[in-house]
Amino acid sequence: MVMMMQKIWAMMWKDARVRFSSRSELLFFLVLPLLFTVILGGAQFGGDGDNRIPVLVVNEDSGEMADELLALLTASKTVRPELVAAAEAETRFGDNEHAALLRIPAGFGERVAAGEPAEPAVLDLTQAPNNTNAIAAQQAIQAAVGSLGQAAAAAQSSVMVAEEKRPFTTPTERAAYFAEGLALAQTAVAEAPQRIAVTQPEAATGGFDGAAHQAVGQLLTWVLIPLLGTSGYLAFERAQGTLRRLLVTPTHTATYLLGTVASQLGLGLVQMTILVLFGVYVLRVNWGHSVAGLALMLFLFGLAAVAFGVMLGAFTKTESQANSLSIMMGMALALLGGAWIPLEVFPQGMQTAVHILPTTWAMRGLSDIVLRGQGVADVLLEGSVLLGFALLFFTIGVWRFRYE
Amino acid sequence: MLKLLTIGWKDLIVTFRDRAALIMMLAAPFVLTLGMGAVTGAFSDGSNNGIDPVPLVLVNEDEGELGGFLLDVMQSEELADLLVVQTAVSTETARQQVDDDAVAAAVLVPTGFSASIFPDRATGQTGATMPIEVYANPGRPIGASVVEAVVTEFVNRVERNQLTMQVTMTQLATNGLVEMDEMEETAVAIGNDLFGNSQDAAANIVIDTHTASGSSDGGFNVLSFFAPSMAIFFLMYTVTIGARSILQEQEQGTLSRLLVSPTSLAQVLGGKVVGTFLTGVAQVTILIVATTLLFQLRWGNGLGVALLIVAVALAATSWGLLVASLSNTPGQVGSAGTAVMLLFGILGGTFFPTAQMGGLLEAAGKITPHAWAMDGFLSLATGGTLADVVTPVLALLLMTALVFGAALLMLRRRWAVA
Repeated sequence: MVMMMQKIWAMMWKDARVRFSSRSELLFFLVLPLLFTVILGGAQFGGDGDNRIPVLVVNEDSGEMADELLALLTASKTVRPELVAAAEAETRFGDNEHAALLRIPAGFGERVAAGEPAEPAVLDLTQAPNNTNAIAAQQAIQAAVGSLGQAAAAAQSSVMVAEEKRPFTTPTERAAYFAEGLALAQTAVAEAPQRIAVTQPEAATGGFDGAAHQAVGQLLTWVLIPLLGTSGYLAFERAQGTLRRLLVTPTHTATYLLGTVASQLGLGLVQMTILVLFGVYVLRVNWGHSVAGLALMLFLFGLAAVAFGVMLGAFTKTESQANSLSIMMGMALALLGGAWIPLEVFPQGMQTAVHILPTTWAMRGLSDIVLRGQGVADVLLEGSVLLGFALLFFTIGVWRFRYE
Repeated sequence: MLKLLTIGWKDLIVTFRDRAALIMMLAAPFVLTLGMGAVTGAFSDGSNNGIDPVPLVLVNEDEGELGGFLLDVMQSEELADLLVVQTAVSTETARQQVDDDAVAAAVLVPTGFSASIFPDRATGQTGATMPIEVYANPGRPIGASVVEAVVTEFVNRVERNQLTMQVTMTQLATNGLVEMDEMEETAVAIGNDLFGNSQDAAANIVIDTHTASGSSDGGFNVLSFFAPSMAIFFLMYTVTIGARSILQEQEQGTLSRLLVSPTSLAQVLGGKVVGTFLTGVAQVTILIVATTLLFQLRWGNGLGVALLIVAVALAATSWGLLVASLSNTPGQVGSAGTAVMLLFGILGGTFFPTAQMGGLLEAAGKITPHAWAMDGFLSLATGGTLADVVTPVLALLLMTALVFGAALLMLRRRWAVA
């Protein structure tokens, strides 16, 4: 047993030295993963991981009311207003990146303040066809408008009821009545209680964090590709004949495979630890409350990934083939597992279908820990599935493994 | 010239016979285009271009009418494409559904919600404030915010009506427009009018909503973004192979052998560059033809597409040559080339439009062939003409001249030293 452990340790040390024999390995091990996390964490879906639905806004009114509406839209959690000039609005809207185009016409604020029921202030909203984002944007704009016009609408309604009781003799009398109602309404609005409370699971780490999602996603991507690259090491040893030579020594094939897997998994865990620590202490990314849960998920993800690499190694002939396949499959698995784009954005059918991939379960488990603040007990299902994947891949890999 | 073409043609054949290279040159961009298409709904039935309906669970513990009204609003035909509403009897069950990531949010209407808004007929008093709780799923930010927006709009409408009641009755009373004994009757009539009407009678801001002309299936296909972006992303891999082969020839001694023949160093180098360029053109062309046939993509003006392919292959080739000129071994070219491929991919807008990055990063993207080529390809795919690709093509050619010039200077210095 001690002898076997010594052999495994020797192989791990050898693999680490081989891998870092070129300084450029550090580029892929740390530099690029960190660079990508920094860039994507702040850039995807807009600055600061902003993934709200983008809406174009043309503001032709220079009044306070229009500014207030824009402020309400900017504060919205659903839409991200992008102010554009009227001339470029149509072109920008035609690029299909925006769900809706809102026009605030000149004189908007004056009309709202005038309180003339026959001539309400009209906002023009153009929606992209067959687009649920456009419906969501409409709801958000409606909510903002509702907050904006509440006091004026109440005053206007009061004027209408009063007019039914006793018509105003002059426009001035009518305007005075409206002004009185508006003042009453504004006071009431200011004193109105909060009637909606938005809450989250108690342990949640403060809502969705685009930077945290990208940190998790980039970690998975950059660790997955080299772990799949285990297939390249196996193909390399086979092609060089060193594998055959090694097996002539009193080394069991299981010891060899265990040594290779342990070395790659060990390096993967070191890489993951550095990326997490860098995220926590430098990028200030919140990785959740449960160190044990995080460690469990990262270990099981690494195990499933390296097992996938062993399986891939059984089916590839040359090192370069294995490396190309590792990069392609690593990127595809990361993408489909929700590491680059949140699963929520996927079509419903795809959200279900991608559960056949280990990366989906890894993202699910890590999201539970990072975003929902859950712990070991809450990620047992995801962890078990990853363990199942690891066993399945190892079984296939060892069964089909060619030593020569 | 014939020698250049012969060397170039030989390199092209060698590259296309390499299975590992083919995986990265053709299979990888194809697989990732398919993947991007699948996750962004490009292969859906085309009936919806936005998010899928948002699943939510509602618990109505309100004994008044408003909880029921909210459920009616959420289940209305108007919101049928946006929300999938289910009801639960207990708040614990609903919260658990959010914790299990089964729904985007739970809407919990508490006991006494209506009573906190409508005054009691006997006492004229309203109950203590009982807010509706939106228990949001932090893993589904878009869906949760949509639910919150719908609830907010509902509450706004209720508050607006309540406010209207309050202001109207106060003004009627203080201005002597209603007698004391008529107060209750008038209030009930106004209340019925306001709360019984689904439309906002008093709304002084109207949103005139209409749908943009054109249908979803006749518009932009998201694959028109991902197909060229992935092709260009992996084009950088191809030029890295070409660049690496220059140093490989030197390392393996075949370069010296070639130079023994009546072939100059410039001809060999030129042949290598021609080979890399031709391989790049062939790679992008194959991907364009394949995606056109398989996904019925419309790339737009054919001549414009051809010009862009040539220009982007030239620019990418020059970057590959620069990487080779700055490296000492084929291994270094491979590592540096892959790093450049990934960096250019992210800066050049391979995975999402650079406009979303903004500021410095968007500007930095302009040093990549990707940003200019994508600009041209997207212009053509959205109906642009030949004139629309003049700027991207000229920018790519200028980039080629500058980067190629720098690479030649570096190589000349290296060969001179050697």
